[in-house]
Amino acid sequence: MRLLFSLALRNALRNTRRSFLTGLTIMLGVALLTCGISWTRGAFGGILEKGANVMGPVRLVTPEFAKKEQMMPLAENIVELEPILAAARATPGVTGAWPRLQMAATLTVGDDMGEHFALVQGAPPEWFSRALDLEHHIPNGRMFATDDAAAQQCAGGRRSRPPIDAVIGAMAATEVGAKVGDDLILGGQTQDGSLSAIKVKVVGISDLGSGPQNRFVYVSLATLQCMADIPTGATEVLVYGATLDDAIPIEAALAANPALSKLAVSRWDQRPPFSSISGIIGALQSIAAGVIVFITALGVLNTMLMSVLERTAEIGVMRAMGLRRGATVFLFVIEAIGIAAIGGAVGAIVGSLISYFILELHGINLGNAVNKLPPGLAVDSVIHGDWEPIMLAQAFGLGLVMAIVGGALPAIRASRIEPVEAMRARR
Amino acid sequence: MLSNLTLWFGAALAVMLTFLAPEARAATPTVTDLLDKIDANMTYDTRESYITMRVTKSDRVKEYKMHSYGRGQDEAAIEYLAPSRDEGTKMLKKKDELWMWLPSVEKTQKISGHMLRQGLMGSDMSYEDMLDAARWRSMYSGTVTGEETIDGRKCWKVELTATSTAVSYPKRTIWVDAVAYIPVKQQLFALSGTLLKTWTMGDIRAVGTRQFPYKMTVIDEVQTGSKTELIFDKVTFAIALEEEVFSTRWLER
Repeated sequence: MRLLFSLALRNALRNTRRSFLTGLTIMLGVALLTCGISWTRGAFGGILEKGANVMGPVRLVTPEFAKKEQMMPLAENIVELEPILAAARATPGVTGAWPRLQMAATLTVGDDMGEHFALVQGAPPEWFSRALDLEHHIPNGRMFATDDAAAQQCAGGRRSRPPIDAVIGAMAATEVGAKVGDDLILGGQTQDGSLSAIKVKVVGISDLGSGPQNRFVYVSLATLQCMADIPTGATEVLVYGATLDDAIPIEAALAANPALSKLAVSRWDQRPPFSSISGIIGALQSIAAGVIVFITALGVLNTMLMSVLERTAEIGVMRAMGLRRGATVFLFVIEAIGIAAIGGAVGAIVGSLISYFILELHGINLGNAVNKLPPGLAVDSVIHGDWEPIMLAQAFGLGLVMAIVGGALPAIRASRIEPVEAMRARR
Repeated sequence: MLSNLTLWFGAALAVMLTFLAPEARAATPTVTDLLDKIDANMTYDTRESYITMRVTKSDRVKEYKMHSYGRGQDEAAIEYLAPSRDEGTKMLKKKDELWMWLPSVEKTQKISGHMLRQGLMGSDMSYEDMLDAARWRSMYSGTVTGEETIDGRKCWKVELTATSTAVSYPKRTIWVDAVAYIPVKQQLFALSGTLLKTWTMGDIRAVGTRQFPYKMTVIDEVQTGSKTELIFDKVTFAIALEEEVFSTRWLER
């Protein structure tokens, strides 16, 4: 065994340039892999976590709403919220449950109605705090107050109406030309489909860093209940646990609760767009890692194959002296692993430094590209990496895999060399 | 003797047929006759009415009270009296343009294009259905295809096809009360032949010289579980209306 190790070491040092190039290939592959894993973890992990928070880790809706969700059917609402909220909040592991209403509306500042469209979210302030941390993302103005102005607007007729507070996303505010203090008219429909409009006062302009989220208008639940003519209800009840992983047991517990049997219960990853993209994200990560491993392994294979060809006669002599096939394979694989260990270690360190100091701390700005994503995908325009110490070991391990994959074929080839033919070839 | 009798019988038969033939032809009216008589009942120079509209969607029923005005084929106005959240909402139609005054925001919203064919206040009647008073004679041609009995009333069944592309329903099958000349039942079709709505009219009463249905029911055949009833609480025709009613100034008054 010691002989094999010393032979492998001698071989690796015999052609230092080639060994250096092999090590460099592995180093680049491992560094690229570390950065790639870090960045995709940061990007997709951020999307998933933020999206799950906005969509609700677990959600309760009527079965009819679930069927026609794309059309935002306001008529398919949960009429009596209190017993549903009480049952959800009493479920083990649940840290919060809040109702939410959401509808499309036209935004008007000035006289011409219906020029701009936005999604309007209505929920208790606690939900905005839990899901969006909205109150800390209003650089201009303040959070809306929980007042009963909405109910007074709903009273109808020509009586005077107190203003209702609203926070508008920065992008929507720019599009419609709204400033803090402006009157903003939201034009939508009631649950019965008749035209409905309310006047709100812009008290804050939010910047949640995400393109889609900056196109929303945020109001109290009572405001949207007034607008949609759903006096006591909401279309969704969103249920939260301490972490996203709690969604699985909470969903199971809610689904088994007889008090909630008439509602459809679903986890965030069972609903569009995440029901389709979470699998795609995993597949993309695997494909990207596979491509990097393959290309790097190809480099190792090329180098090791050259090494085998150069040493055909020497292998023949060793085989004639009794070196068994298994030992021949081991000799070349151990040489590849030795080079990979050094290249992989350097690559893991370099990749980790880049991941941490450039990707995680600074991030990569995707600019306006994120603004065209669907509203459920709350993607920040600056994507940060997500590096963890364990990734050092993961990347180093993958470097060794690259070496084994790349070194295996030449090693097998070497083991099949017949001693007589090899010595006759004189190489 | 026999030949004389035959001659006399033949002559008498010929005279009878001569007199009866026009009667027999008049028994099935022409489409233009029917449309003229329907237009005489349903269109007007001026009209003022108080209407209750009841919209049923699945198990939810919503009731609206309206005060409606109409002048000729091109002008109509509606003010909502109830429920309280819609009180003061007004609509004004002038030719092909429609404005809606929303008191909650003190704004006038112009409704145009495809929105005119959307449900009025979420009902099964579109804005056009509610406010249109055009004469059918000028919009449709067709054939009388038979005679049927609807709710004990003898009716003429008529297949109508629009003569222009600007109408809401390119095809209609109507059942016209043979006495009152009211289309007691209508099936409204899209150009593709898809049945969109079934519209029935009942509680026919004499109002002056005309017959008028005090109850209408519209069923949306595309959206199941949806029905709209229109009950005319009071209708007055040929009434002097303020000029201001048909102006945008009235909307904001």
